[in-house]
Amino acid sequence: MNSINSIWARWRVERKSQIRGFKLIVYTMSRSPLSVIGFSFVLIFFVIALIGPILITYPQDVRGAVHMDQKFKPPSSLHPFGTDEVGRDIYSRVIMGTRISLQIGLLIIFVAMGIGVPVGIIAGYLGGWVNEVLMRITDIFLSVPGLLLALAIVGALGPGIKNAMLALSIVWWPGYVRLVQGKTLSLREESFVEAAKSIGASKFRIIFGHILPNCTSPIIIKASMDMGMAILFAANLGFIGVGAQPPIPEWGAMISTGRNYLMNHWWMATFPGLAILITVLGFNLLGDGLRDVLDPQSRI
Amino acid sequence: MKRYFLKRFLSIIITLIGLSVIVFMVSRVAPGDPAKLAAGPDATEEMVQIIQKEFRLDDPLPVQYISYMRGLLRGDFGRSIRTRHQVQEDIRLFLPATFELVFFSIAFAIAFGILFGILSAVYKDTWIDHGARVFSVTGVAVPMFWLGIMLQLLLAAKFHLLPIGGRLDTMILPPTTITRFFLMDSLITGNWVVFKNALSHIFLPAFVLSFPALASITRINRAEMLEVLHKDFILNERAQGISERLIIAKYALKNALIPTLTMIGLRYGWMLGGTILVETVFDWPGIGNYAVGAAVYSDFQPVMAVTIILGLNFMIANLFVDLGYGVLDPRVRYE
Amino acid sequence: MIVGVSFLVGASASGYEKRDGKKIFVYGERQAAPNIDPSQYYDWSTRMLQQSLYDALLKYVGNPPKLIPWLAKSRKKSADGKKWTFELVRNAKFHNGDPVTAQAVKWSFERTLTIKKGPAWMLMDFLDKDGIRVIDDHTIEFNLKSPYAAFEMALPWWYIMNPKVVMANAKGDDYGQEWMKSNSAGSGPFRQKRWEHGVLYELEAVEDYWKGWENPKHINGFIYKIIRESSSLRMALEKGEVDGISGLSPEDYDAVIKNPNIYVTNDPGWTTFGLKMNTQKGYTKDINIRKAICYAFDYPSMIKIYNGNATLEDSPFPKGMKGHIPVPNVYRQDMKKAKEYLAKAGYPNGGFELEYVYVSGLEEERLIGLVLLDNLAQLGIKLKMVPLVWPNMVARGSKVETSPDLIAVFTTPIMDDPDVVAIQYHKVSWGKYYGSHFYQNEKTWEMIEKARFTVDWPTRRKLYEEIQTQIMEDVPELFGMLFNRRWAFRKHVKGFVFSPMRFTSEIDIYPLYIED
Repeated sequence: MNSINSIWARWRVERKSQIRGFKLIVYTMSRSPLSVIGFSFVLIFFVIALIGPILITYPQDVRGAVHMDQKFKPPSSLHPFGTDEVGRDIYSRVIMGTRISLQIGLLIIFVAMGIGVPVGIIAGYLGGWVNEVLMRITDIFLSVPGLLLALAIVGALGPGIKNAMLALSIVWWPGYVRLVQGKTLSLREESFVEAAKSIGASKFRIIFGHILPNCTSPIIIKASMDMGMAILFAANLGFIGVGAQPPIPEWGAMISTGRNYLMNHWWMATFPGLAILITVLGFNLLGDGLRDVLDPQSRI
Repeated sequence: MKRYFLKRFLSIIITLIGLSVIVFMVSRVAPGDPAKLAAGPDATEEMVQIIQKEFRLDDPLPVQYISYMRGLLRGDFGRSIRTRHQVQEDIRLFLPATFELVFFSIAFAIAFGILFGILSAVYKDTWIDHGARVFSVTGVAVPMFWLGIMLQLLLAAKFHLLPIGGRLDTMILPPTTITRFFLMDSLITGNWVVFKNALSHIFLPAFVLSFPALASITRINRAEMLEVLHKDFILNERAQGISERLIIAKYALKNALIPTLTMIGLRYGWMLGGTILVETVFDWPGIGNYAVGAAVYSDFQPVMAVTIILGLNFMIANLFVDLGYGVLDPRVRYE
Repeated sequence: MIVGVSFLVGASASGYEKRDGKKIFVYGERQAAPNIDPSQYYDWSTRMLQQSLYDALLKYVGNPPKLIPWLAKSRKKSADGKKWTFELVRNAKFHNGDPVTAQAVKWSFERTLTIKKGPAWMLMDFLDKDGIRVIDDHTIEFNLKSPYAAFEMALPWWYIMNPKVVMANAKGDDYGQEWMKSNSAGSGPFRQKRWEHGVLYELEAVEDYWKGWENPKHINGFIYKIIRESSSLRMALEKGEVDGISGLSPEDYDAVIKNPNIYVTNDPGWTTFGLKMNTQKGYTKDINIRKAICYAFDYPSMIKIYNGNATLEDSPFPKGMKGHIPVPNVYRQDMKKAKEYLAKAGYPNGGFELEYVYVSGLEEERLIGLVLLDNLAQLGIKLKMVPLVWPNMVARGSKVETSPDLIAVFTTPIMDDPDVVAIQYHKVSWGKYYGSHFYQNEKTWEMIEKARFTVDWPTRRKLYEEIQTQIMEDVPELFGMLFNRRWAFRKHVKGFVFSPMRFTSEIDIYPLYIED
């Protein structure tokens, strides 16, 4: 018992300034009502995604069961969001859709970061022609509106959630390259990097020890805002019909189906749409809040 | 200045070439047999061979790319499998519709975005400000296609206030072709009936398309205006007795517009992408709709063409944004 | 903003469209018709326009479908079924005034046979170009390579074109194909007026049409308007922006029927829906697995999907077609039997995955897939739903290696003869979308061939009875249903006659008239 206490105490002492910094972030953010709202939406989103299976009332409807006799029932106590065209409970499907969206968002962002951050650091650090070439290539990807490029890629590979995620990762990675390259470029000139170099630190150590930690703030801000946008883009592709396929309960695909029956059965498209709205709004507000705290100088 | 222009122009060309390579590679990755698709459901083996030759699908990849690039330089984007027409013909038909929609939307977003931003900054902390702020934050999060179908349902289907889709009513003949923009052409020829009709049709799709841009522009303009309005030189001007209106319109706005301009450029790009959603919802016969129809059909040439054309348009728009900085900020020098 | 919006409230037409006193019928369709060349292409959207712009020797009308003389006022068939002679009407004229002669007929058939696209497949095996003989200006003779009782039944789909006009617009040796995509050289009751690709096509009535007009109130113009989304289609009909539509979901039809300004027609069709299974590859190669699938499926759910407006198939042939019999060994849901056959196949608990390929965007096929997914889950079989566009499906179904385990196909017979359905189960159909099961049974093939080349109906009928029973026993396909064909029209549109030979949303606009 004593040893654990002392380990904990030692950790607290070592990380004192970082703990303070963290507390400052939390305090500042809690002062802004919008950030609190954003944070709560995101928190709810994550919680629902995690404990989804406990919350749903008709688990088989998510996996593919159909009940033709129950189709198109309006919202009621049994089915708070109504039923769809094959009698499935929309509430259960929207809840499970949270999990799908989370997976989609996380995967896209992580792949994009996984490619974009290293490329950005390499470009910024090495400079010269490597930088030129890498940035040119990045510019090419950024020269075309993201949704169009995603459409082209999914159009080529075929419809499906995997291809949609791949396409969106390809659309997203250049943004991270630009962000990280810019930061690396400016950090390179900082005196602490000079100092590290002068005592013979390897490139590796400089990158991982000094540059990367200083990039984390902008990356986190961007990732937070991007989560929302990635989920939105995935829903866009789902709506067009090249994203998630039945019976996967992805929100965009649900709206696309619901659209055909909108005039008489408004609930099919409305609830998934609200889910998207709340989720994206949450991530946007959270991202804004983080930016105000971590990087108040930046504009966009 | 001329050198800057030339430099940018060159860079656009290089980027465009790079884009064409990427797009070409993507199209060739596609699974499936494009010749069979093109030949149609009742085709015989002979018919498939004919198509294979017509589209040169047997040549090695780099050769195919070279012939593709040669075609691009001539303006030949190949032939669409779905419509059987030359893609350039289809694009010539559908491009004006998209640009009319996009110009209308961006103009709307810029005009009202800046206006709301100013109002929100000037009347800070009043209900105007609060309303604008809520709007500017949620506007970006609303899925465009969902907004479109909801408004379509309410305004068009339930309350019959606006048309459901398309550019004109079925019975109305399009105006004489001058610019191919219905609004312009009908104004120029004094055709009031067509003008009213075209306006009623473009209203809802343009509104939906502009929504996120409108929200972002409002937001950033407000933030910038607030920044600027508290600066020293403004205080100075107020002390000198210059009217508040003039201060806002001339001095504050000019400074606030610089970052706003950046946002406008960014949002224009997203708007070009958004056309594929809005045109689908409102049956707008533009290239967004055309590209979606082609993508769903595994018909590549049109998707490639639309990507390149809209990509080029975005690059040019960015060039204008950069030149705009020069206009707004005399400190900017071009080398 | 509200003020601005109300200013824009346009005239929402509650009547029909009129322009200069002429009655225009506006039809909403989900699909464009980018190529209306009768020698190159046909599908439901295209043929509606072709039927209006062109004439053929014969025409299908009514339900049950009758083959009536059109450009050909009489016809004779030789006893051996190989020589067919047609006498043409004297007063038929092309739109530009040229008379419709036997030379033009010969030229049109030659063109289609040479280009080898569109309807060419229907007669390619029986007719060579040199088999067509012009006897005189108004008499033409077809000499077939082998007897074919159903020859005349394909003729309504071989439209007659004006050689002078087509060749005047030919580019190089393309036989006029480029020009004919968006233009026409016909003699039909309508001519082209406005052609806006992706938006609409407008036809105007040929007031002095050589065959005349039955009803003085006939439509003077026809606009085919492209509206891709079914929800927009329905809104357009309810608002009066269009006068007739098809392609709504069963829900929408049932809702729209309540509108006092709209009526919905409902006729049993001959379009069959079936899931063709790959009998030569994969799990579906084993007949026991195929039987298991057919016993697992909840057939009545298909009726529910159509809200009661469908009938289950009781034979590979559609009910109502000549030669159809209700086959005794038809499959209905029986989970016990399904499990038995699955066990016989060696997979008592399933444990494998099947692919269900269907037309992307076709809601009914998607719903049926969802039902099947649920049914097969009870057997421990997983179903992967793969939406593809139709040409992709056709491409996949054209080879044994790529043909899907289950492919959803709607098939409309193009003639009233059982050969057109039976031939789908013959080797010659391998590679076509309706042959994607690659069904192999030499005995059945022999019967099909015999029935095809026989001219005597009682003999053929007996053969077809055996063929139907045998196919059901070999179960290359999950035989589904025939759905009722429905159209929704505004009250003032009259004269619509359903014919099962027409495709899904295709209507013949010639008999339509407007009455307030």
